[in-house]
Amino acid sequence: MPDANRTVLQGTVDLLILKTLSWGPRHGYAIARWIEETTDDVLRIEEGSLYPALYRMQKRGWIKSGWGESDIGKRIRIYSLTPSGRAELRAQSTQWELMVKAMARVLKPA
Amino acid sequence: MRHLLRTGARLFWRPAADDQVDEELREHVDMLVRRLEREGLSPDAAREAALRRFGDLATVRDECRALAHDEEDQMNRQEFWAELRQDAGYGARTLRRAPLYTTIAALTLAIGIGASTAIFSVVHAVLLRDLPYRESDRVVAIWNGYREGGALSRTAIAPPEFADVMEQNRSFDQVSAVSRSSANLTGGCTDGECEPERVVAYTVSPNLFTLLGAGAALGRTFTESDVAQGAEPVVVLSHTLWMRRFGGDSTVLGRSINVNARLRTVIGVMPATVRFPDAPIGFLRERGELWAPFSWQNNRGEERGNQYLGFLARRRPDVTLDQARVDLETISARFRTTFPSRYDQTTVKWGLDARPIREEMVGEVRRPLLVVLGAVILLMLIACANVAHLSLARGAARRQEFAVRAALGAGRMRLVRQLVTESLILGASAGALGVLIAIGATRGLVRLDPGMIPQLDATTVNGAVLAFAVLSTLFCALLVGVVPALRQSITSVHDAIRSGRGAAAQPRRRVRSMLVVAEVAMALVILVGAGLLTRSFLALQRVDPGFSPGSTLTFAVTLPRARYETAAKLVAFHEQLQPRLAAVAGVASVSAIDPLPLGGTNWSGTFHIDGQVVPPGGQDPHGEYAVALPGFVKSLGMTLVSGREFETTDGPAAPAVVIVDDRLVARHFPGQDPLGKRISQEGPTGPFATIVGVVRHVYRSGPAKEGEPQIYFPFSQHEQTPMSYAVRTTVDPLSVLRAVRTEVAALDPDLPIARVATMATLEFTSLARERFNALIFAVFAATALLLAAVGLYGVMAYLVSQRQAEIGIRLALGGGPRDVARMVIGDGMRMALIGIVLGTVASLAVARVLDGLLFGIEPTDPVTYVVIAATLAVVALLASALPARRATKADPASALRA
Repeated sequence: MPDANRTVLQGTVDLLILKTLSWGPRHGYAIARWIEETTDDVLRIEEGSLYPALYRMQKRGWIKSGWGESDIGKRIRIYSLTPSGRAELRAQSTQWELMVKAMARVLKPA
Repeated sequence: MRHLLRTGARLFWRPAADDQVDEELREHVDMLVRRLEREGLSPDAAREAALRRFGDLATVRDECRALAHDEEDQMNRQEFWAELRQDAGYGARTLRRAPLYTTIAALTLAIGIGASTAIFSVVHAVLLRDLPYRESDRVVAIWNGYREGGALSRTAIAPPEFADVMEQNRSFDQVSAVSRSSANLTGGCTDGECEPERVVAYTVSPNLFTLLGAGAALGRTFTESDVAQGAEPVVVLSHTLWMRRFGGDSTVLGRSINVNARLRTVIGVMPATVRFPDAPIGFLRERGELWAPFSWQNNRGEERGNQYLGFLARRRPDVTLDQARVDLETISARFRTTFPSRYDQTTVKWGLDARPIREEMVGEVRRPLLVVLGAVILLMLIACANVAHLSLARGAARRQEFAVRAALGAGRMRLVRQLVTESLILGASAGALGVLIAIGATRGLVRLDPGMIPQLDATTVNGAVLAFAVLSTLFCALLVGVVPALRQSITSVHDAIRSGRGAAAQPRRRVRSMLVVAEVAMALVILVGAGLLTRSFLALQRVDPGFSPGSTLTFAVTLPRARYETAAKLVAFHEQLQPRLAAVAGVASVSAIDPLPLGGTNWSGTFHIDGQVVPPGGQDPHGEYAVALPGFVKSLGMTLVSGREFETTDGPAAPAVVIVDDRLVARHFPGQDPLGKRISQEGPTGPFATIVGVVRHVYRSGPAKEGEPQIYFPFSQHEQTPMSYAVRTTVDPLSVLRAVRTEVAALDPDLPIARVATMATLEFTSLARERFNALIFAVFAATALLLAAVGLYGVMAYLVSQRQAEIGIRLALGGGPRDVARMVIGDGMRMALIGIVLGTVASLAVARVLDGLLFGIEPTDPVTYVVIAATLAVVALLASALPARRATKADPASALRA
């Protein structure tokens, strides 16, 4: 069920990106690396799917972009969190934690 | 439109956004590849692995591109509004900082917009709005059409003609005949007490209102049963009469009122919007106040020459106007065969003619109105050109401001937009003011109504009119804003900052000169129009009308047949009234006539001359008739050429006599003594009446209409019910009115006197429309001349200030003030002369539209053109002389230093 997987992941990817950017501005490749490292490859996502998410979040005003340089000095887009993105991160984190707790309560007795 | 713009924008913008997406994704993959290579993969394997980890590149790219475009649109929109807000705020501040400029510019534009909007509101009310009838395009008026040479004249229909067309046509659902009459109303008021009153009445076929598709507001309109044998006589009231005489009392329905001494039951009241005829339909000119039914086809036994009916018909839906005309021609052909002498074709072509009622009602005002609209739009353009001058001059002063803004990074388009936004703000305030002016001016125009413009009183500033105002405002604002804006942006930033002035003056001067030339040309067109109309108006006033208005009171009486049933009673009334009025203090002479010159009605027909046999196929002589009391030549101030006037001895039993005019003599008795000749109104075999006097021709319908040969009959031998009195006084004519009323009431207390007016007023109103046109044009022309002069002066003053340095050098090098003045004036006159030449050419091209509005003068009248051109040249000279004088006063030293 790749489609279902993808939709579940959609919200997760947004949250991951917001969390990543909360440490500071970075480009898409760096975001992918950070997610890869911190989740120990548990959340195996196609790196390409980050970009539509980035564009969508930028449109919603959660993140903004400017231009910076890559490791070899090429022009590359750098994303950073906006105040409304920070608020969104807080809201989504809370929601996520609530859900995790609820799921844990449901699953523990089993 | 918006879609097109966006598509167009994408042609430019999409590649940039797309490239950025591609660049970003490519960079990601490349970095991934580099890392994998560092981990030891071969370049090919690394790229393959990277692409696998990246996922479906093509899908991701498309998704990102779409999102990028959305965002870009959104950002552009936000940016646009933000910049607009900024521009508007900045513009408003700038305008506030220059109150004089802002006030003058806004007022000038407001006058232009207001005047055009006011005139457009009239055009809309009169020409564009529907008539208050159902499917009015199917309603036609039918006339006896006489075609002589190129001209077609339309005259009334005789009852037998109406009856025949009614039976024989295959084109019309319904036909109605209408006759103008008038009614003496007595009593009937709600509170019981009211003066006898005379109202405009029409005797109409019972189906008239059904034909028009206009229902009663209260009660009902007529049906066939209202004209059945022995039916109760009924009447329908107009809204105005109902309000005026009956106070809008709805219990008036079913009440009997006294109309021409006969009791009629009120069965209905029409809505205020329908006062048939709501605009002049041929000779049916006055709006109705009261209508009574009659089956005109029952009068088919009358003479075919006795033509006095208006004839309306509603086309069947499946019949076109042309088909209806063909049908009428078939009927006409039948008439010609059956009555060959009556419908003779040798000199004048006769045929029944149908014309849409809308043409009847607005046909004669369409051209004058459109001409006025054209003139006022020209005026608005001149106003725009003037404001464009002003903002150009301001633009020059603001060049440094703009240069600084450009240096700080404002793009060229952004600066243009700033200027356009500014002029839109200016335009909006001018437009709002203009609408207020239009509302006021519209009220004024309605009051100035010469009385013949249909639906003029319904003129309001409504949605369509507001739309016109908004459009003209936008147009003006763009014109005023764009021209200087484009000039502005040409200025190079560098030059402007460095010098602040002088640079780039050259192209701007050309634009200014073009504006002045256009202004002068447009002003000339308006001035020529005004000149032609004024000269035509003066020519009309110079026409000798054949009578002298002097100090004369006129009024009409109509003796009701019900009480004055015999000729003797009719004659007796006037025989008593005339000496009674003559005895009133201040009265010099008294007589009566019908129709009264300039009274708005006319009466004509064929006559026969004893001893002159009309050859077979020839046309019987035709002329205008009038009936008069003794002494009418003196009372009306007419001129007796030979013979005598009517006298009291020309009684019913005395030999029949007539008086004719000099036109009749010239046409029918050339080189003969007309006195003693005999003519007949009845038929070729008499009875004849002897010509006892010859008078000068009278212009009965106003000086613009010459009329036909005239014949006067003595009242005592041709008694009738309506007569109009002419009371010539040695004092103010209106001051004897009270005494006149007393004398009439003494003879018949129930008899109202109607149409009280002085002859001078009648003369004044007979030229009302010509005066109206000339006046409106004169106002426009004066404004146009003033604006053009101001524009020229402004430009010359500006140019002088720009060339201060050059002038200083000239003066310093020993050039005389005279040379400098000649140079400046020469510049101004060159522009003015080009404008005058262009304007003359344009006027000659469009003057044709004044055809038919002009009397006794050609649209290409050279005198008018020369005088106007000379006037404009003089004004231009003055407008350039003032700045020239100032230039010569310049101190060479300070001019050079500046």
